[in-house]
Amino acid sequence: MNKADRSRHYNDRVRKAIAKPRLQDTLHRFADAYVIAREAAFAGQDFEALRTAIGEMKDEVRDNLPRYRDEFIANAEAAGAKVYIARTAAEANAYICNLARDRGVKTVVKSKSMASEETHLNHALKDAGVEALETDLGEWIIQLAGERPSHMVMPAIHMLKEEVAELFSKVTGKEEPAEILHLVRLARKQLRQGYLDADMGISGANVAIAETGGLALVTNEGNARLTTTLPKIHVALVGMEKLVPTLADANRIINVLPKNATGQLITSYITWIRGAVPCGDKSKELHIVLLDNGRSALAESPHCRDALRCIKCGACANVCPVYQTVGGHVFGHIYISAIGVILTAFFHGLNNASELVRACIGCRSCVAVCPSNIDLESIILHLREVIGEEEGVGAGKSIVFKNVMRNRKLFHGMLRAASVLQKPVTRGERTIRHLPLFFSGLTEWRTLPAIADKPLRDLWNDIPQKVEKPRYRVAFFAGCLNDFVYPEMGIDLVKVLNHLDVEVTLPLEQSCCGVPALYSGDKDTAVAMAEQNIDAMLENDPDFVVTSCPTCTMALQRDFIDLLKDNPVWAEKAMKLAEITIDISCFITDKLDGAEAFGKAIKAEKVTYHDSCHLKRGAGVWEQPRRLIADSGREVVEMAHSDRCCGFGGSYSFTSHADIAKQILGDKIKDIEASGAACVAMDCPGCMMQIQGGLQKQEKDVRVKHTIELLAENLDD
Amino acid sequence: MENFIIAARNVGADVQLISNLEELVAYIDQRIEGGLLLSPCPSLKRAGLSAMLKTAGVDVVEEEFRAHGASAAAGLTGANFGIAATGTVVLESTDEAVRIATTLPEKHFVLLDPRKILATADEAVPLLGDFHKQMPQAYLAYITGPSRTADIERVLTIGVHGPAELHILLLEGLSEDLMER
Ligand code: SF4
Ligand code: SF4
Repeated sequence: MNKADRSRHYNDRVRKAIAKPRLQDTLHRFADAYVIAREAAFAGQDFEALRTAIGEMKDEVRDNLPRYRDEFIANAEAAGAKVYIARTAAEANAYICNLARDRGVKTVVKSKSMASEETHLNHALKDAGVEALETDLGEWIIQLAGERPSHMVMPAIHMLKEEVAELFSKVTGKEEPAEILHLVRLARKQLRQGYLDADMGISGANVAIAETGGLALVTNEGNARLTTTLPKIHVALVGMEKLVPTLADANRIINVLPKNATGQLITSYITWIRGAVPCGDKSKELHIVLLDNGRSALAESPHCRDALRCIKCGACANVCPVYQTVGGHVFGHIYISAIGVILTAFFHGLNNASELVRACIGCRSCVAVCPSNIDLESIILHLREVIGEEEGVGAGKSIVFKNVMRNRKLFHGMLRAASVLQKPVTRGERTIRHLPLFFSGLTEWRTLPAIADKPLRDLWNDIPQKVEKPRYRVAFFAGCLNDFVYPEMGIDLVKVLNHLDVEVTLPLEQSCCGVPALYSGDKDTAVAMAEQNIDAMLENDPDFVVTSCPTCTMALQRDFIDLLKDNPVWAEKAMKLAEITIDISCFITDKLDGAEAFGKAIKAEKVTYHDSCHLKRGAGVWEQPRRLIADSGREVVEMAHSDRCCGFGGSYSFTSHADIAKQILGDKIKDIEASGAACVAMDCPGCMMQIQGGLQKQEKDVRVKHTIELLAENLDD
Repeated sequence: MENFIIAARNVGADVQLISNLEELVAYIDQRIEGGLLLSPCPSLKRAGLSAMLKTAGVDVVEEEFRAHGASAAAGLTGANFGIAATGTVVLESTDEAVRIATTLPEKHFVLLDPRKILATADEAVPLLGDFHKQMPQAYLAYITGPSRTADIERVLTIGVHGPAELHILLLEGLSEDLMER
């Protein structure tokens, strides 16, 4: 498929998924219940310590793979197992099919194995004339439906009970009622004979333990125990990354896996199998197929190899707003969601991953819950760069990035021109309610703010600053939105900081932080912007650089260092800038101790706070702005899911994935309304634009304010 | 023991304190109709359970588990030890009979001497290591509550492929040996 067809095809699937509101409903309900159950399951445990340990243990295995692999093989074979290393999916399938043919196997029972989905084993068996029966309830359902799993732990989460009843009716030949208990019992009855008849059982494994040569399986239904007990041959298809050194390491993973997967303390069954255990009056024939299929390549990639730490808990899907909106069939290939994006690129080819890589909104929710300490979002970003290099970032975008954004004067000039050009559209109002037809997809569901008549940089010299003896001199990094869309926020920021005896400058050579280019896969432009901004911001040696946009904050604190790390001169400057960069709420509370300096607001308004993704999960700031709002005489009421993404994600919501962004915004608006607050505060102009747009379009009467604007209101009162 | 009972009940196991073998036999007898797969576990043998159950009229199956497994009503086994934090029973199940008794029938009765309850899964790790040292081939099972699934619309449903009922019967005096096999 060429690139244009592929994109069209993908967008089509996005639209279809969004048209299934019950799917979203199921995924949202699960996500809500999951968060609560997970927290209870980890009560009293130090999640950070647990995941650090798992990450380090997995890295140790990756770095010494031959040693652990050989130890595993030696121990497994000593216990009577046969171990085969499959370099590719095809090799794995061929080994298993040949074995089946050789032993005269007619039917196979399978317990859940993502590795066998990865290799398309069922197809291969079918071609070899062997019938494979999936026994995990969810897997059986999707086998009957001829689909693939939409979640790694809950493969049929996308199916409604009515759909399941329909499938089961076809099996039994009579109409089955859509009652869940009935359907479950029916599956038990139907599959029972399968175990008894099968000549071979195929399972996966959650861990392979080098020191014993054994496997551990983590399950709830009991089908894996039957699959590994009744048939005389057992084949375990195991991804190479499942290797751990010791039983204690296996125990560590098993402690975390069910808790993080579904919020269960432990699954019904943990099964430890080593070697050719008794089977009838003989010994079981045990074959372990260790699957590479791209894992070695992944281990070689310094940017991506942390993905090999994954223990396949599926949590990165559970919390992902994109997954919750479109499900795993759209946001995934075989493996789904954040980890799916990465594994797809290595196991199934970049071509299958390129749409997925763009579908991530960058909210970092997945990173926060990953029990293996994988920075999934950064890896996805890196893949986006790779795909950008390979395929280009899209004709329109690449012209803008390469020719316009790198030239600050031209870029700002175009923004100024846009402020004039948009006039017929805005009719002088401050928001764009309707764009010309070809842009209509962007404003159907939210209004967009207009570009200001005069950007902050033009207003700056007229802003009075009255600070006699400044405690600090800080430079303000305004970012595009603050400069060109919300200049009044810059004025408020000066007011607030002056009140705390801080003098503010606005270095005029600063430009866009470069994140839009970076997130679109144009790294060269991002590097150029980073250099330009570092020089601009460090020029007069300010005490601090303050930011009001968390995306810019992360750019200055983190991304610039990463972009420039191979160039010693620039790397040092980038470090210097990162050290003195701080977001405005943090600066006021932590550096100026100024939370109580603003008196009490005249009206004790109810304010709910929206946590921006990059602020909470990027910069780790969430408590400070709440304190500022409460100490300035307002009542903070929490909305549900306060740290769930609003769907903005920079250019994401404008061009690449407007449909998904719209759904995510809809969820946010509902939560804001339900909180009963008169005002929703946040610390990100991007979120403001998104949320204000959504509230206005739905004609909701809730004020949208940056925390700084609220503080400034106190000073005006 | 209290933590164990709470945790096991939380995941849907029936936990019963039993004071003697007669009570145990009555408990089982009241709850089954059909064959009972009696696991070949040393502490059950020592207690002479087979004869007692038969006297009470229970249809006790002691061999040919493969042939009887699918039609039997229940399995009766002895646990090596329990884990309090999760309400788990651990069964050394290398003998195929133990596996069939705990997977195929609808009900699973498991005897546990309350003196053999560990606090956490971490404490079980050295024992796992010992089992592996003693046995060239090993099949060890942690069982926590009945078989369950939430694969249809995330609704928790009990008894999919394994037992729909798990009865944990706490009887002191059975055995103090955690490694018994
Ligand atoms: S960063 Fe957010 S949108 Fe992207 S994969 Fe992770 S959770 Fe999903
Ligand atoms: S990447 Fe992390 S959160 Fe996602 S499935 Fe793997 S271990 Fe779980």
